[in-house]
Amino acid sequence: MTELVDTAKVQDDQLRSKRAKRIWTAVGLIIIIILGGIALIATGTWQIGPPEFHGMVIQAPQPANNFTLYGADDQPISLRDFRGKTVLLYFGYTFCPDVCPATMVELKQMMADLGNDAENVQVIMISVDPERDTPASLQDYVSHFHPSFIGLTGHNEDEVLAVTTPLGVFYEKHEGTAASGYLIDHTATVSVIDKEGYLRLVYPFGVTGSEMAADLRYIIRD
Amino acid sequence: MTAVFAAGKRQEAKKTGAKWHWLWVIPVISLLAVAAFSIFRPIQVLPRITLAPGYSLTDQNGEALTSEDMRGKITLYTFTYTNCTEPCVQTTGLLQEVQARLNEIDNGDVPIQFVTISVDPEHDTTAVLTEFANQLGADPNIWHFVTGDVTRLKWVIGGGFGLYFGQRDDGSIILDSGYTLVDGAGIIRADYRLYNPDVDIILRDLRLLVEESQNSEGAARYAYEAAHLFLCYPR
Repeated sequence: MTELVDTAKVQDDQLRSKRAKRIWTAVGLIIIIILGGIALIATGTWQIGPPEFHGMVIQAPQPANNFTLYGADDQPISLRDFRGKTVLLYFGYTFCPDVCPATMVELKQMMADLGNDAENVQVIMISVDPERDTPASLQDYVSHFHPSFIGLTGHNEDEVLAVTTPLGVFYEKHEGTAASGYLIDHTATVSVIDKEGYLRLVYPFGVTGSEMAADLRYIIRD
Repeated sequence: MTAVFAAGKRQEAKKTGAKWHWLWVIPVISLLAVAAFSIFRPIQVLPRITLAPGYSLTDQNGEALTSEDMRGKITLYTFTYTNCTEPCVQTTGLLQEVQARLNEIDNGDVPIQFVTISVDPEHDTTAVLTEFANQLGADPNIWHFVTGDVTRLKWVIGGGFGLYFGQRDDGSIILDSGYTLVDGAGIIRADYRLYNPDVDIILRDLRLLVEESQNSEGAARYAYEAAHLFLCYPR
């Protein structure tokens, strides 16, 4: 009888010890996974998307229409030439007194915030004033903000409209002062096209360079 | 006696183990909640189709009306020309009905606007558009009649809204019929490619956009995003 009890007790202890081992192994594994995850996120190896983008998210991204406009020396440049890079398109003009320089400064700040990731990003400013902005003067203007920025312009209004309209951008010439010449009202958004050529985000005017950089860190790895 | 004691301990150990068994309820409840959300769709939304085109056109008062003026407003677009008589289908008739029933929607501070774009700028001058608006009994605070040069119209209507229009050899106009609903962020949310869509459906869609605009603040915003994620579209 005592032997039987002892055997039962030994079996019971073994069972408990096995169960305890299993529980501790599971707990250990969970702790390792959590700590590992934290370490990967902290070192930046794992990119966790920002909880909310700072621009308007295009829910079902569609390929952005390809276009060909003209850069410095009037050489044709197409959107598809930048496949593999995240492209930020901004529409403005060099005579623009306020909104354009303010946005370009934010884009410059964004490049600084991106650090090494900046090489995966291409900022393109497209002129909505092909009449006054020559390819050379436009390139000179954008280079002032960042050496990698590219300025593109069309030879006529039709070429510019083909790019602006599908991106929800309007522009309209109106009278200015004698000093400023005519002014152009235009949508001041920045469109983000990912490395696959899909339109992903549209930033309204007022989003800071640091906010854009935070979003782009996610998009360039996506 | 000792054996009974040992067996009792084993049962106790089993009970301690059972303490953790309820944990499976968490993923099951989460899955059920997700399934319930997508089946019962407590919040309905309209899909975010694509960006609406940018434009600057001239309204019946000779003033510029741009896509930026429509920011923050829910806009129903129609495309027509004043000389559109049978067999051409005049899309403005349906808008008259919608205008008459707008009081059924409690839109609070979310403006609802109509923009009718004429594809015949040569004939539809500002004076003609004003007369047309008056005939229709259009409320000037909500209903705009615009047109512009043909190149711009082609980009806006053809390129942006995806509707074909052109001129036949005899000078008459060909125009696809369509109505497009755009939200305050400038995103196309509904396209009605019919000659006579159901006014009730248009009113329902306007109501959904108004509700989304009014309610998707704070935590409710995530519920609306979930509704988009689970494609909780009206049937």
